Amino acid sequence: MAFLGGVWQWLSDPAHWSGANGIPQRLVEHIQLSAESVAIGALIALPIGILLGHYGRFGNLAINVSNVGRALPSFGILVIAFQVFGLGDFPIVLSLTALAIPPMLTNSYVALREVDADVKDAARGMGYRELTQVLRVELPLAVPLVMAGVRTSAVQVVATATLAALISGGGFGRYIIDGLAQQDFTKLFAGALLVALLAMATELSLSWLERVLVPRGIRLLNAPVSSKAATFKTA
Amino acid sequence: MNLKTNSWRLLVALTALMVVASCGGTTPGTTSKGTVTVAGFNFPESSILAQVYGQALAHDGYTVNYKLLLGTRPIVTTAIKAGQVDLYPGYAASELEFFNKGAGEATSDPAATTAKLNTYLQPAGLVALTPAAAVDANAFAVPQATADKYKLAKLSDITPAIASQLVFGAGPECPTYKFCLPGLKSVYGLTFKAVKTLDTDGSLTRAAFKNGSIQIGLVFTTDADLKGLGLVVLEDDKHMTAADNVVPIVRQTVATDNVKAVLNSIDAKLTTADLVSMVDQVANQHKDADAVATAWLQQHNYSS
Repeated sequence: MAFLGGVWQWLSDPAHWSGANGIPQRLVEHIQLSAESVAIGALIALPIGILLGHYGRFGNLAINVSNVGRALPSFGILVIAFQVFGLGDFPIVLSLTALAIPPMLTNSYVALREVDADVKDAARGMGYRELTQVLRVELPLAVPLVMAGVRTSAVQVVATATLAALISGGGFGRYIIDGLAQQDFTKLFAGALLVALLAMATELSLSWLERVLVPRGIRLLNAPVSSKAATFKTA
Repeated sequence: MNLKTNSWRLLVALTALMVVASCGGTTPGTTSKGTVTVAGFNFPESSILAQVYGQALAHDGYTVNYKLLLGTRPIVTTAIKAGQVDLYPGYAASELEFFNKGAGEATSDPAATTAKLNTYLQPAGLVALTPAAAVDANAFAVPQATADKYKLAKLSDITPAIASQLVFGAGPECPTYKFCLPGLKSVYGLTFKAVKTLDTDGSLTRAAFKNGSIQIGLVFTTDADLKGLGLVVLEDDKHMTAADNVVPIVRQTVATDNVKAVLNSIDAKLTTADLVSMVDQVANQHKDADAVATAWLQQHNYSS
């Protein structure tokens, strides 16, 4: 209990909220690394997953490559990237992007496959062409599952971005690594707590984003009967 | 015969075989004098020294376990005070300044420094043995280009104005390590532009020098590869660092007269030139620390 009190003291100490090793600076660094990795991962994974899901081709290949990708150790990739590229943000972003890709790839493929064949048929019958069909019919229906993939990726990346401190990077991992080296367990625990809080905040904000992106009709479809009755005019 | 019976017999046979095999492990007639766990800091020289001490003890009949590359000084001292390791190769002045919380009692006399160190180790249940002649102290290096630009040959050449333009790099223990940032501040009055947390004279430090993200960093006086990397060591003219002679730190319960005799006889033969040569073989020629240690021990007839 006294230990947790010490952690609270560490977190409320104003000296830890300013300067190059202060919480705001480390927060910015951590978010920067995570956001970069998830964004680049999304740019690679989402188009491929959506395309493969829409055409229904090479699904097994995509999923298997994704599963192998999940098994790659981020720490291992980080150290190898450091040997090849030296210090800096690039090795860190590289290994975190490798971590971010598999969940988004698998989820977006499955999401597009799960779209009701009848709906796709109806869209085709109404004259929608390929790209418009994907953008206006299939993607809105697939949003929940795609966003689930993005959320999984983002939370994993935020939690793993602590590895950056191993090759002299920034972020909250700095508190964990330095705390261990200096045997300052208060700092170590505070750092771990901050990472956990950031990961939860990421999850919550992306859930909110998903709610915003899901089309109103779909949201209402899944809503309880009482709210539906009030929304749609019946007579 | 049904399949189930066959599988059962196979299982019983295999189990019996494993029990017999494990029983055959101990050779009758050899009893160990005891178990010693040797720890080392997270840089190659410490692994070599730990192997030298450990193999000498093993040769003498002890069972030796190793916990090499354990971590920084705070981590290793926590482990030995808790009894999780029994011995580590320390450096007299650095150990003293760690245990006395930077009081500044270390001098350039290894014997006096070790005696003072023992006054602090006594209550912690530890003891420092006889220091070796071999010394490995902290040193600070800059790239040749930086030395030329600011005309630096010794640490006192760095004025506060110059220091505010240099980024300093060292391990995470540096901000509280007497012979690192605090010493540079108190003896030379230096506050750097920024401090980058790297490793204790390892690959991160060298990479940071290489890509220019630091202009001054912590190295060791036994490093042989500095010239090849274009780094020049600045002379510690105000003697901020002190007698960092290699000295084994042992738990008192493990420090029997026999153990002390073995370790002290190693220290009697260990020189700085030996350290430089061994570190060069491991860090630059990529040989294994245990092989290098064995070679040195055989050359010096173990502890005899």
